Amino acid sequence: MNEKLVSVLAEVFNLQPDQIVPELTKENVGSWDSLKQMDLVISLERQYGVTLQVEDIIQLVSVAKIAEVLKRKGVDLGD
Amino acid sequence: MEIKGAVALVTGGANGLGLAIATFLSEQGAHVVVGDLDEDALSGLGGEFDHHVLDVTCPDNVTKVVNDIVKKHGRIDILVNNAGVIFNEPLVNIMNPEGMIHDYTRFRNSIAVNLDSVFLMTGAVVEHMIKGRTKGCIVNISSISARGNEGQTAYSAAKSGVNAMTVTWSKELGRMGIRCNAIAPGFINTGSTNSALTETTINHIVANTPVRRLGEAKEVAQAVVSVISNDFINGTILEVNGGITI
Repeated sequence: MNEKLVSVLAEVFNLQPDQIVPELTKENVGSWDSLKQMDLVISLERQYGVTLQVEDIIQLVSVAKIAEVLKRKGVDLGD
Repeated sequence: MEIKGAVALVTGGANGLGLAIATFLSEQGAHVVVGDLDEDALSGLGGEFDHHVLDVTCPDNVTKVVNDIVKKHGRIDILVNNAGVIFNEPLVNIMNPEGMIHDYTRFRNSIAVNLDSVFLMTGAVVEHMIKGRTKGCIVNISSISARGNEGQTAYSAAKSGVNAMTVTWSKELGRMGIRCNAIAPGFINTGSTNSALTETTINHIVANTPVRRLGEAKEVAQAVVSVISNDFINGTILEVNGGITI
């Protein structure tokens, strides 16, 4: 996993870095509600300099999907 | 927020306080759009503002007008939820034995005009702000009556609800760069105040206001501009009342 992405997601969801795995989904994280989704969007945009549209935002439902969307936006996650 | 060049929608902006707010925002350089149910008053605005007939209690109409404005101007940066109607009725009217208790239909109507409207308008506008990543500002016109005012069960409840929504939305939307504040005017020298209150009541209010006068509509408009301009003001209920408490 990309260290920076792990760090961003751990901070947003208040989790330990080792809990951030590709399989982690919205359903597994109690705090991952619609407000956290906005925090997630703002953090990703700030960290990676991308702009996420609504169609992107609704796909951010798991760590794997987040990585997928970022890569599609041209972000190099080093894998 | 830079007001110059911003697109501002003022509901109930064809008369009184709303018109004063629309005018002052325009003087600061905003592109002001007025929404109002009063078609005659809208016609009277001439070409001063872009304007739409708007029923803030009708979800379909709210959505259509907001969509039309965004289509024309590209976005809405500022929403001033000013539309509302002062409504006076106590819970119990002992002088009317046949209808002693506050009429429920009138209660619901007052809540619809003064509270539901703010919910509908803000939802419709914020949806566009989020999608367009507009760092916007919502200003709700509340009232000193939000503290609870005898003879105004429905109006006080509605305005208190407006204050609660203001704080809630400031917390929910702040992360997206959207601020939400309320202005709570006291007794302002407008047509609606003068028609809602007797001269004796107004004299009593003036005597109990530390500055010994009613407020002017422009002073409320200045408060609206203040909270819009300052990007660190969020979730505030700014009282503009000359120091009177009820």
